[in-house]
Amino acid sequence: MKTRNHSVEAPRISAFNKRANALAIAFFSVVILLAFLPVLLVIMSSVSSEESVSLYGYRFFPREFSLEAFRVMSRSGSTLPGAFLNSVLITLGGTALGLAIMCPCAYALSRKEFGHRKGLMLFLMIPMLFSGGLVATYMVNTQVLRLRNTYLALILPGMCTTWYIMLLRNYFVTTVPDALIESARLDGSQPFQTFLRVALPICTPVVMTVAIFQLFAYWNSWYPALLYIDTNHTELYPLQYVLVNIERTIQAMNRDAAYVSGTNSYDLPSITLRMAMVVVALLPIMILFPFFQRFLKTGLTVGAVKG
Amino acid sequence: MTRKSNTLARSLAGENRQLSLMTVPVVVWYVLFCYLPLFGIAFAFKDFTPKPGQSLLKNLFVNSRWSGLENFSFLFRNPQSGAILLNTLFYNVIFLVAGIVIPVFLAILLTEVHQKRFRGLVQMTLVLPYFLSWVIVSYCVYGFLASDHGQINAVLNALGLASVQWYQSPQYWRAILILTGIWKSCGYSLIIYMCAITAIDRTLYEGAVLDGATFWQQARYITLPLLRPTIATIFILSIGSLLSSDFGLFYQVPMDSGALQEVTQTLDVYVYKALMQQANFSYSSAAAFLQSAVGCALLFLSNALIRRVDRDSALM
Repeated sequence: MKTRNHSVEAPRISAFNKRANALAIAFFSVVILLAFLPVLLVIMSSVSSEESVSLYGYRFFPREFSLEAFRVMSRSGSTLPGAFLNSVLITLGGTALGLAIMCPCAYALSRKEFGHRKGLMLFLMIPMLFSGGLVATYMVNTQVLRLRNTYLALILPGMCTTWYIMLLRNYFVTTVPDALIESARLDGSQPFQTFLRVALPICTPVVMTVAIFQLFAYWNSWYPALLYIDTNHTELYPLQYVLVNIERTIQAMNRDAAYVSGTNSYDLPSITLRMAMVVVALLPIMILFPFFQRFLKTGLTVGAVKG
Repeated sequence: MTRKSNTLARSLAGENRQLSLMTVPVVVWYVLFCYLPLFGIAFAFKDFTPKPGQSLLKNLFVNSRWSGLENFSFLFRNPQSGAILLNTLFYNVIFLVAGIVIPVFLAILLTEVHQKRFRGLVQMTLVLPYFLSWVIVSYCVYGFLASDHGQINAVLNALGLASVQWYQSPQYWRAILILTGIWKSCGYSLIIYMCAITAIDRTLYEGAVLDGATFWQQARYITLPLLRPTIATIFILSIGSLLSSDFGLFYQVPMDSGALQEVTQTLDVYVYKALMQQANFSYSSAAAFLQSAVGCALLFLSNALIRRVDRDSALM
């Protein structure tokens, strides 16, 4: 049993004296600088002018600033704005649907009076150990559920995770007092009503945590698109998959161009455009990230720290 | 009295039914997306010969003949397999060790830094890559390694050295992939270990300081032993995925470059390519079956092993 004193925080005694502390700060400053460099490079490259990049390469300090890449991107009408919209729809839809089915289930699992609790837990745990593997999943999704080339292929497979259901359930168990549920029941509230009106409002922190993790997961997902969306359904591509594909197209076209001659191909997305697209995919995460710190931390630690 | 308990029982049954109803959508989802594919394990033991226009189940169980362990024996006889298996194990062992040593070291140091806000800044910066997709990460790497515009070649040129065609030079990629993998996952483990350290009773340290223990002694004799359960948990979970690898790291980060295949092909990449590029369902699923069977066995094995050494650190 851990003892936690949130209210009375004892004065922390650090093993570091002033000098050691300064050294540690210097060390960590270097570490985080190095860790941030790759992201910085992408951002800086995206706001460089095309000529400066083609002359001097991707640089941390662009010779010449330019937002041309972003302008081209929003102008090119065809793929990118559509892909952005796809990503937003998939992300919001998948997260909302997932929560809508996971939360009630987790609540039911948290109630002792629910008869099938143990059996259902086992039912949810088994897939964590055994899975049919990629082939079977692929075949079922394409041939039985007929998800190929649909939005649903990008939404449905990622909707639930046993981890999240357990996380929600544990929170319901520890935070919702039995007395509260009991009194709601005496007032004639049905379980679903109790869940919606009593339990859920208390549990917004954990719901937020799961929501944020799901938002990030959907925003970042590209594997389902790789598996289930054909090249002739580009209108379904999420942003991340456009990024995967742009590179492929450029590679293929460059290879072909190298055979023919060393000509410039104007209509290919330029060097900075590539990075600008990455920034469009990256920026929402970077912007939301600081706001969600608290939730992120609880979400990250729940899986591994034994309590 | 009896009537009261009767109505109570009836209302309980009603509540139970409603609670069951609340779980139905999740149960349906699990049946469709987890349990339905389970029969697909049969792919690994079948010589899959589908007839067009017939249902998947009929094709798998009626139209295809059982082939016993043929798929597996082919897998083992395939000259590539050894290298693929070795790659998978090589990277996973490195990630397993580095994924514990580096974050634990950083966590022990960082906990002692006085400034709370700086501690937060470090954690958040280091965990940022964890929340980026492999696609974005692959471009972060590309910014450095692109042969004509890459940062590294620019530096090499400035030093008077010749450019390197990074995406054609397999000799560098073990290091690149390891660095990238650690960069992406380190912050996550760091936060877990820091939380575990914060949960340690501070009076232990106060006592140690009174006895004149140095920082390293405190780390060695207090922090590390008390971190053991957390490290064990992470160890067991990673052992379970010893044969799995992050598809994005090995497929997308090298931009699926054919020249790098000898060092980038791991089991997951093979399973994907066998399925999508060669349409070789049987070998692909044999490889996947091997992966999850071995993973499952290793999970239980390492758990049993750890339970024998230290009962409290075991997972199950």
